[in-house]
Amino acid sequence: MSTHFDPTQHISSSAAYPEVSFYEHTDDATFKKKVRKTTILLSVITIIELAIGLAIYTIHKGENPSALLVLMFKGAVCILTLAKAYYIVSVFMHLGDEIRNMIMTIVVPLMLFIWFIIAFIADGNSYKNLRNKYDKHFQESTMPAKHHSAEEKPADAGGKQ
Amino acid sequence: MSESMSVHPEVVTTHDVHHDEHGGGHHKETFISKYIFSMDHKTIGKQFLITGIIWAIVGGLFSVLFRLQLGYPDQSFPILETFFGHWAKGGQIQPEFYYALVTMHGTVLVFFVLTAGLSGTFANILIPLQIGARDMASPMLNMLSYWFFFLASVIMMSSLFIQTGPAAGGWTIYPPLSALGQASQGSKLGMDLWLVSMAMFIVSSLLGGLNYISTILNMRTKGMSMTRMPLTIWAMFFTAVLGVLSFPVLLSGAILLLFDRNLGTSFFLSDIVVNGEVLPNEGGSAILFQHLFWFLGHPEVYIILLPAMGMVSEIMSVNSRKPIFGYMAMLGSLFAIAILAFLVWAHHMFVTGLNPFLGSIFVLLTLLIAVPSAIKVFNWLTTLWRGNIRFTPAMLFAIGFVSLFISGGLTGIFLGNSTIDIHLHDTMFVVAHFHIVMGVASFFGMFAGVYHWFPKMFGRYLNSTLGYIHFWVTMVGAYLIFWPMHYEGLAGMPRRYLDKSGWVSFNQFGDLDKMITVVSIIVFAVQLMFVFNFFYSIFKGRKVTTQNPWGANTLEWTTPIRPGHGNWVGEIPEVHRWPYDYGKDGRDFIPQTEPIGANESKH
Amino acid sequence: MATTANVHQTKWWSGGKSPFNMEYGKLMMWYFLMSDAFTFGAFLISYGSIRFSQNFWPDPNVVFNAFPGAGHANLPLAFVSVMTFILIISSVTMVLAVHAGHKGDKQAVVKWLAWTIVGGLAFLSCQAWEWHHLITGEHATLIDGQIKMVGQTTAVNPWGDLASASAVADALKNTSHETLVQLISSHDHSFSHEQLAGMSQEKLMSMVNAADLHIRENGPVAFGGYFYGITGFHGFHVFSGVVINIVMLIMTQKDIFQKRGHYLMIEKAGLYWHFVDLVWVFVFLCFYLI
Repeated sequence: MSTHFDPTQHISSSAAYPEVSFYEHTDDATFKKKVRKTTILLSVITIIELAIGLAIYTIHKGENPSALLVLMFKGAVCILTLAKAYYIVSVFMHLGDEIRNMIMTIVVPLMLFIWFIIAFIADGNSYKNLRNKYDKHFQESTMPAKHHSAEEKPADAGGKQ
Repeated sequence: MSESMSVHPEVVTTHDVHHDEHGGGHHKETFISKYIFSMDHKTIGKQFLITGIIWAIVGGLFSVLFRLQLGYPDQSFPILETFFGHWAKGGQIQPEFYYALVTMHGTVLVFFVLTAGLSGTFANILIPLQIGARDMASPMLNMLSYWFFFLASVIMMSSLFIQTGPAAGGWTIYPPLSALGQASQGSKLGMDLWLVSMAMFIVSSLLGGLNYISTILNMRTKGMSMTRMPLTIWAMFFTAVLGVLSFPVLLSGAILLLFDRNLGTSFFLSDIVVNGEVLPNEGGSAILFQHLFWFLGHPEVYIILLPAMGMVSEIMSVNSRKPIFGYMAMLGSLFAIAILAFLVWAHHMFVTGLNPFLGSIFVLLTLLIAVPSAIKVFNWLTTLWRGNIRFTPAMLFAIGFVSLFISGGLTGIFLGNSTIDIHLHDTMFVVAHFHIVMGVASFFGMFAGVYHWFPKMFGRYLNSTLGYIHFWVTMVGAYLIFWPMHYEGLAGMPRRYLDKSGWVSFNQFGDLDKMITVVSIIVFAVQLMFVFNFFYSIFKGRKVTTQNPWGANTLEWTTPIRPGHGNWVGEIPEVHRWPYDYGKDGRDFIPQTEPIGANESKH
Repeated sequence: MATTANVHQTKWWSGGKSPFNMEYGKLMMWYFLMSDAFTFGAFLISYGSIRFSQNFWPDPNVVFNAFPGAGHANLPLAFVSVMTFILIISSVTMVLAVHAGHKGDKQAVVKWLAWTIVGGLAFLSCQAWEWHHLITGEHATLIDGQIKMVGQTTAVNPWGDLASASAVADALKNTSHETLVQLISSHDHSFSHEQLAGMSQEKLMSMVNAADLHIRENGPVAFGGYFYGITGFHGFHVFSGVVINIVMLIMTQKDIFQKRGHYLMIEKAGLYWHFVDLVWVFVFLCFYLI
């Protein structure tokens, strides 16, 4: 009917047809069950994380620790932590029950962390390499000695080049 | 069961009711609650503006002082010794004084004038008025936002009057200089006060920003969909988002720097010898601070620029009597700029020892900003094209903004390339670039806003004749001051140096520097004339007699000439169209409140 | 067709109501937490950047291996897992408090809030113990060619690489009498502290075997700065969360929310509390696990 230009037509369809997901607890029992489930899940993930932490400790203590294995374990812990964060935000903070656009306004800005982390870590790493190359004193005084490989290696296997 | 469901809508309505009470004006307001601890967004906006003006005078005066040194390095000005004592011994500006002046000029103008004074003022005044709200979402936090800014101002101002002087390590306060009191006068107490003041400032900007975002999202009047909002509001929205996400990173950096200064940590310090003394600090990274600083610092540039862009778009459309060209493109480019603002910070650090490969990624991301910037510029030009232009002072400043944005933006392409930046880094070229594109351009946006919305703020007009003088002198002056600096910079003249007369190669610029100094004094005097115009017109200016003096579509012109707390008497108007229906169907303008006619054409 | 589209559009974004069906206070709390996430993010990323700029970094399992009352037993990660569970549980009680608030059940709100406060205080006490233990627990460390007894502070780090036996043997010559006494008494319990103190330097030197000592070099000092800085900042958040919860508890007791008709304030306090828990998840990851 109206020929008026409505710029709203150009926003994404998700804005035009939001999923109506109210903050709604159907009943006490379901809610309690959900909380119990999440609590158990968080505890289990934490226990697995601790187990991995101890595994890294034993790898370090053993003969010829494998840097790759340590790195893989560390990656696994990071993923598990993100899973934990997801459950806390989505269930405990009820973000999962909000309207999708609201979720997007929280999640999308967090994407900035990706480049934030990559750039900072990459530059930190490059700083180390530059100093190892041009500052011999730095390299000699901080590089872990090779004479007791049976004992703790640098915890930071990811920083190795 | 579903009780929680009913709670939410209820709350939203109680909030409205609460504001309606304000609108009715049943309150007995005392002087203190009306003008000092006011919770009315319009009063808070004016408080920000007037505090910003005071700071601008201080910051501008600093630049005049150090320009005296740069233009006339050998001359003695006895009057300076009268005022500043040993800081200007023998009438000559001493090195420590010079560095303090440069540092505080930057700090004051970037943060206190162009962040708080610009977006604090116009976000406060315009957001509720243009989206059709009685006030901000939380008037209380809004008031606190101003008073935290005031507190930050008091602390920063007090640092000017202490024995060892204010911070003097440049507005970017790079450690190790800023972290070590023994390294310089300006790194003693003044630096601590700087950091504390900035922490207060960040709190203020956070409180303000949260309020702006939730007001724009939640408090729009009926019919005011997001894409019916004036571009001013969109610009303020992105500004607030930038501030909320980037200022906390500076806060982290400032806290770590405070620890380095006072608790003996080594976050940013390593391998340092000061005055022959070897410091025990090791393991820190000075580059890390620069990363943290510029993660804020670069979005900060857009925090300053976006509100000016938004206001210029609005003013330009109103005074061209034409719809803004490419509303959605304008909006999209604002969004693109807001995102890119977060991704490009290390282009300030190409020569610090940043990994060159990483640098090349930053070059790529930096040059991408040219795309949305160019879209905006062409849209402004096409808005002007064949328009029925009214050259009000506000419009002149808006056009001047576009001119400055173009000429300052183009030099950004030079600096954004890491290879060219090796030559140009820390030269006067950089000074010229960012003063034109961010400093003066944002000031032009601010002036445009003040001239345009002064009738709404105070119910009177600013004097136009003084306005025209103000514009032309400032416009010509700005180019005369900053254009020659490009040549100096290309020739390799460094910035921040007290005295360059030791270099034979820079002797040729002696007269040029004198000219710049003279022009900057003239321009500063003209700004004082504007300040006079501002305060004179508040009390004695020509009175506004019609509700909508500029023939504008937006909602603020549907309020009474001097709106009370609550803005609208009676119901808040409903919105039926976008705000840029100018020169449509043979009508000069159609306010947003007018329903769509049956035979209205598409545009 | 266009009209049906308009019906849907006017529903959420066309003004006159919150597009997220959320009152402004909760919205502001969410965005405040976003902002705070960037503060913590900046801290943790700075820590990561520094860590990547070092050739050596201590293994957290070696640093955090003590448990209150367990003496010198090597219990890596035991205490911090207790702290983590305390925080998770207090987050659960907070969820229950918020839920009770939705139902308007004042007694339940009070009960769960009180438990949350107890959890917060317990966490703070744990942190106080941990800090105290790290600062005052002294370790023999090879610094500048001599052995010193140092704790973990922002200026010294006793968790460097293991020193070679020859370096330790050289360093023993320069080591003070007092340090030698401490060094021996921590390994060898056949003499009392007083007896050892009475012995001569040479006698003490003969009693130590450089090869068995497992003495570490001075490690990266940034470790201490970041550890105390970030856990301290997190502890400050826990503390302010406890204060907020106490205020909520008092307001609930005084029936302020009951009169208001809703417990939305509890919900906002809850968001803040969960955020504190969330940050701990990442602090736990960065300092204790990897």
